[in-house]
Amino acid sequence: MKKITVVKLALVVLITIGIGDMIFEYGTYDDIHNTIVSTLCLSCIKLDPVSRLDFVFETGNGEAHPEFVLQNLTKGPLFIEYRSDVCKACDDMAPIIKDIFKLKFEKEDTLYKMVNYSGTKINFYHLNLDHASQIQKDSFPIYDKDQIKGVPMFVVITVKYDRGIIKPCYTAAYGTLGLDTDEERREMIINLIEDGIKLYEQNHEGYQYP
Amino acid sequence: MNLRFKRLISQIIFFFSANLGLKLGGIFPGVTTGFCYPFFYCHACPSASAACPLRSIEIGVYRSNWNWRLILYPVLIIGFVGVISGRAVCGWACPIGLFQRVTGKVAKKIKKKYPAVRKLGQLRIEPFFRYVKYIAFIGLVVATPILIGFMFTDVCPIGYLVGTIPISILNPGEFTPNEFFYIAIIVFVLFIILIFLVERGWCRYFCPIGAMLAPFNKISMYQVVVNKDECIHCNICANDACPMGIDVPNMDRDPECILCGKCIEACPKKIISFKRA
Repeated sequence: MKKITVVKLALVVLITIGIGDMIFEYGTYDDIHNTIVSTLCLSCIKLDPVSRLDFVFETGNGEAHPEFVLQNLTKGPLFIEYRSDVCKACDDMAPIIKDIFKLKFEKEDTLYKMVNYSGTKINFYHLNLDHASQIQKDSFPIYDKDQIKGVPMFVVITVKYDRGIIKPCYTAAYGTLGLDTDEERREMIINLIEDGIKLYEQNHEGYQYP
Repeated sequence: MNLRFKRLISQIIFFFSANLGLKLGGIFPGVTTGFCYPFFYCHACPSASAACPLRSIEIGVYRSNWNWRLILYPVLIIGFVGVISGRAVCGWACPIGLFQRVTGKVAKKIKKKYPAVRKLGQLRIEPFFRYVKYIAFIGLVVATPILIGFMFTDVCPIGYLVGTIPISILNPGEFTPNEFFYIAIIVFVLFIILIFLVERGWCRYFCPIGAMLAPFNKISMYQVVVNKDECIHCNICANDACPMGIDVPNMDRDPECILCGKCIEACPKKIISFKRA
């Protein structure tokens, strides 16, 4: 057998071992599946979802609201910012969110903080899906209202009256919100938060943590 | 069965494999995997079954956030395919190659009809244009994501073709253009013009996956060989058959060869053949 053929065969074997190792040892297969294939890449399609800011009861995937949300709703409405490590729109929106809530954090951080927004307490979450806990990651499809599967996603969770019961409800906005300027984006996020606060103030007395 | 038909069957099979993620109501749930395509296809396609290797690399290097697994994984997958068959994947598997198979027929007619277009392919600087794909790969897939966060896939015409267009049709009024949308339209229009003017124009000049696969032609186990001693230099293989515009009689493991086998079929002396190392 020629020397070059042996080298080629050795190369194929080495590459096969490398791929196998990455799949079985390092979980790269699952990483690629969860973070690239199963998530709609908004920058790849060069589109932002149109955000419809109505508060709804039905969760994105039909699952129940997670425990950390139900519990924190007794303290105030929730604002959750979902993002990932590599996301241009997330980078564009981050300074706006930090400015509105007067917070400082890095993009890799998973942050929970009770913030005071114009006299109302808001549960603020900054969740990077590449670093968040499994429970936090699982909450992403629950609040993916329009089933976009893309980041950034901004969720406001509050409480609302529904046929005799006060229940958690939420709305979600995506990407750069379909707006061109930071000022417009900031205004839209503020409107979203204030709508959530208004609903919370009207209904929270009837909310009972299950 | 002739080579042309075999290649068509292969391209159709790979096209369906690349689109196994398509959900068909209660009939078919759709299959998605954690593999990277070894050819050019976009995971933003509503029916995609794997990831775009370029995007994985871009995420791996984005703003010097080195994630070696996301860089190595697609490189190893492409390396595996490359060592075995070189750029054969471009000729036998790539869905964009299948698309260009259709547009290539128009390109051939235009080339015959308009001498100016024919002359474009004969320009002395034409071979240098082929280096653009290497520059695109190193510049837009590796360098700009590291340095300024701009990624090739932000303006990729294939993403526009198989992602943006079907998603816009399937979800009318649900999406709005982002900041790269209009640049992507221009790139897409240029891409369409190119592939209608030059046969396999995308593969020749711009495909970054082609740039990754091309060097493997030098060491791949399969190659196209010409028996130069018996060649009568009729140039039918180079002028009429080869979609990549290669000087077939003088080629030796040419990085541009996509092993489509058109030259093998066209050769009147039957002195061109596939060879396994």
